Amino acid sequence: MTIVTGKAEARRRLQPGWSGALRKIWEHRADYAYVLPAIVVMLIVIAYPIYYTVELSFFKTPPGLQLRDKSFIGFDNYTAILTSAVFWKVTWNTLIWTLGSTFIAFVLGFATALALHRDFIGRGVLRAILIIPWVISAVAASYIWKWIYHSDFGIIGAVLVGLGLADRPPNFIDNVSTVLPSLIVVNIWREFPFAMIMMMAGLQTVPDQLLRAARVDGASAWQRFWHVTFPHLRNVSVVTILLLAVANFNSFIIPWIMTGGGPSNASHIWITHIYELAFGRQRWGVASAYSVLLFLMLMTLGYFYVRALSGNDRKEGSA
Amino acid sequence: MTRITLGGAVLRGTVSTALVASLMSAPALGAAPVDLSKWSPEYVRSIAGTQDFDTAADCAKVTPLDYKGRLTFWYQGVFEGDPDLLRQYYKDFFETFRKTYPNIQLEDQALTYNDLLDKFRTALLGNAAPMAVRLQILGGTEFASKGYLQPLKPEDVGYSTEDFWPGAMKAVTWDGVTYGIPTNNETMAFIWNADIFKRAGLDPDKAPATWDDVIKYSKQIHDKLGIAGYGLVARKNAGNTPYRFMPQLWAYGGGVFDEATANPTYEQVELDSPQSKAALQASYDMYVRDKSVPVSALTNQQADNQPLFVAGQLGMMISHPSDYNVMLDLQAKATGADKEKAQTVIDNMRYGLIPTGPDGKRAVVFGGSNIHILKPEYVEGGKVDEPAAKAIICMWTSPEWSLKMAYAGSNPGNLNGFKTKWMKERLDSIKFLDVTTSMLPYGIPFPALPQSPEIMNIIVPDMLQNALTGAMTVDQAADDAAQKVKDLMGGL
Repeated sequence: MTIVTGKAEARRRLQPGWSGALRKIWEHRADYAYVLPAIVVMLIVIAYPIYYTVELSFFKTPPGLQLRDKSFIGFDNYTAILTSAVFWKVTWNTLIWTLGSTFIAFVLGFATALALHRDFIGRGVLRAILIIPWVISAVAASYIWKWIYHSDFGIIGAVLVGLGLADRPPNFIDNVSTVLPSLIVVNIWREFPFAMIMMMAGLQTVPDQLLRAARVDGASAWQRFWHVTFPHLRNVSVVTILLLAVANFNSFIIPWIMTGGGPSNASHIWITHIYELAFGRQRWGVASAYSVLLFLMLMTLGYFYVRALSGNDRKEGSA
Repeated sequence: MTRITLGGAVLRGTVSTALVASLMSAPALGAAPVDLSKWSPEYVRSIAGTQDFDTAADCAKVTPLDYKGRLTFWYQGVFEGDPDLLRQYYKDFFETFRKTYPNIQLEDQALTYNDLLDKFRTALLGNAAPMAVRLQILGGTEFASKGYLQPLKPEDVGYSTEDFWPGAMKAVTWDGVTYGIPTNNETMAFIWNADIFKRAGLDPDKAPATWDDVIKYSKQIHDKLGIAGYGLVARKNAGNTPYRFMPQLWAYGGGVFDEATANPTYEQVELDSPQSKAALQASYDMYVRDKSVPVSALTNQQADNQPLFVAGQLGMMISHPSDYNVMLDLQAKATGADKEKAQTVIDNMRYGLIPTGPDGKRAVVFGGSNIHILKPEYVEGGKVDEPAAKAIICMWTSPEWSLKMAYAGSNPGNLNGFKTKWMKERLDSIKFLDVTTSMLPYGIPFPALPQSPEIMNIIVPDMLQNALTGAMTVDQAADDAAQKVKDLMGGL
């Protein structure tokens, strides 16, 4: 008589799975060999910095000392961040920046994609022109917009004053109330072509016969959009929004070049604030703690992005 | 080796017998230092062109000219606000160095004032710094105090400590040890457009005597002509902001600490003193109350003021003597009617002493740059080629090159530079140079503290921005800045 213990039973149950997984790995060993160099590089350039940043976030790094003279302070950096007024101000700015930029760039990109999906003369040229903001270097765009917005001699101000619509040029980026919306406009201008391209690609996948059938059935333009077109674009919309959100959370160039986070910290978002803390003020520990918090937020967005992508794969696989 | 132009000096008849005698007997590397107690534009003119120096021969005594080595070197180079003339001198310097030391493989990298500190700090964290670096005056003590720099004094490259401004030597000294050599030292002056003054009903040939006058003149120019009066700058992380605000702060009797006193201790924070608040109030009055300065001041730096000035849209500003050359460069690039307009501005450009405060105190930032050698453990590859580093340092801090590299915008770090023929040429060709050399005795160095870069580049501009945007009142902004300095000094 054979006595099977609980543990042995569990091991027996696991074995097929493990051996199956190992067998699969062995069968695909060439594929793994191909991606191995990339994994090694990623471990060096991504995993180690992440580890070091997390480690550093638990240390006090006084600006007057070298980094090696740091002292362990546990979660004090995190406590200091979460209880500081600047953190909440910068977080609020980051939320406005990210949500405002992402939502408007997406809507504008989507609307443009729908407009360009119709056949009309000059569509190709218009499409090429609209992509220009996206391909221009962010640094160059920031300098150009800085002059467009210039509070004394900007083009917008000159036009408004010239047309008699204003007595003096509007103050876009030297005013704490208007600076962030002004920067968001620049960001949207740069990003909406990306949303447009993504949504144009998505629109190619909407079956024409479905739209024709809906038209035959008497569906209005809105009904065709809402019941036929949009469901087909849901996944590409989610992916586009997530990619834009991640990019915006990570934005640096536009606010840094145009205002340096000012005036009076009114346009500081997380990344610019982290940069100033680390490289301007040498608070490496606090900056690392900020970075860890930002990393966790971005990982959360990344999780939804991967889920959205794998959802697409599953659907395509089952189709 | 020194060649003394005794005949020329006697012929000019401008140099005293005693000075000539001292020059005659002085070897190049131990030349009699300039007598700072006699400092005046006349004295500077009297010593200019009185001595010749053979830089290559002098530096050969430090590092043989056939020395074979490799040097990585970063420096604060020319940027958009500098004149083309200076660009040419930088080019000439590196060409000359490569010719003089053909076997030293030089890997040089120029960075702008605002980028250099960030990049250098980052490189140090990864032990990837260059072997030698030329930093702004603010940087010396920060890196010396952290132990990144090797002790380095003028004597190590063949010069004498007395050949350099005492104030400049303080900026490279930490805990009694010298860690660098000044390359150039500067003080700025007050610049105005006489035509704008005239049209605004002001005396075109008279600079505002006090900072209160600056406020009044700025308002009068703005109200009468509809243009900006004074070129206020308040951008954060830009060297231009402290260089223009600190003279105002000191003139009103304020300060970050007691840096404006003869023997500063840097113990008491003074940013929240009534005098400091009065200085901040002056900026507030111009920006908020009178709206007489550029609205873009919060994002501006001096390079943004220059086009405004040459376009005749700005009445007054603080800057280098080089701004005259910058205006000439800008005028040369202008076309059509703009060219003529720019010429009118240049013809009406005037330089004067920086105004005083209510108690007659005049002050200006004693600025400049220093050159340093890194410790091997912080350098890429873990090795420092000291002879190669000393070769370039000897050359840059020589009377010849410390003058040429500061030709239009600054003054030679090596005081013997004032004796060279190029100084004479400079006095003849650069208009208004006398004014900025006259400002040198009013120069106040930034506090020689490792925390100075953060105070000057972040806390002081933040204070200005908080007050000028209305995010805080003047009192609150000054108190907030003082608290930040106290926290910083307390290690927070």
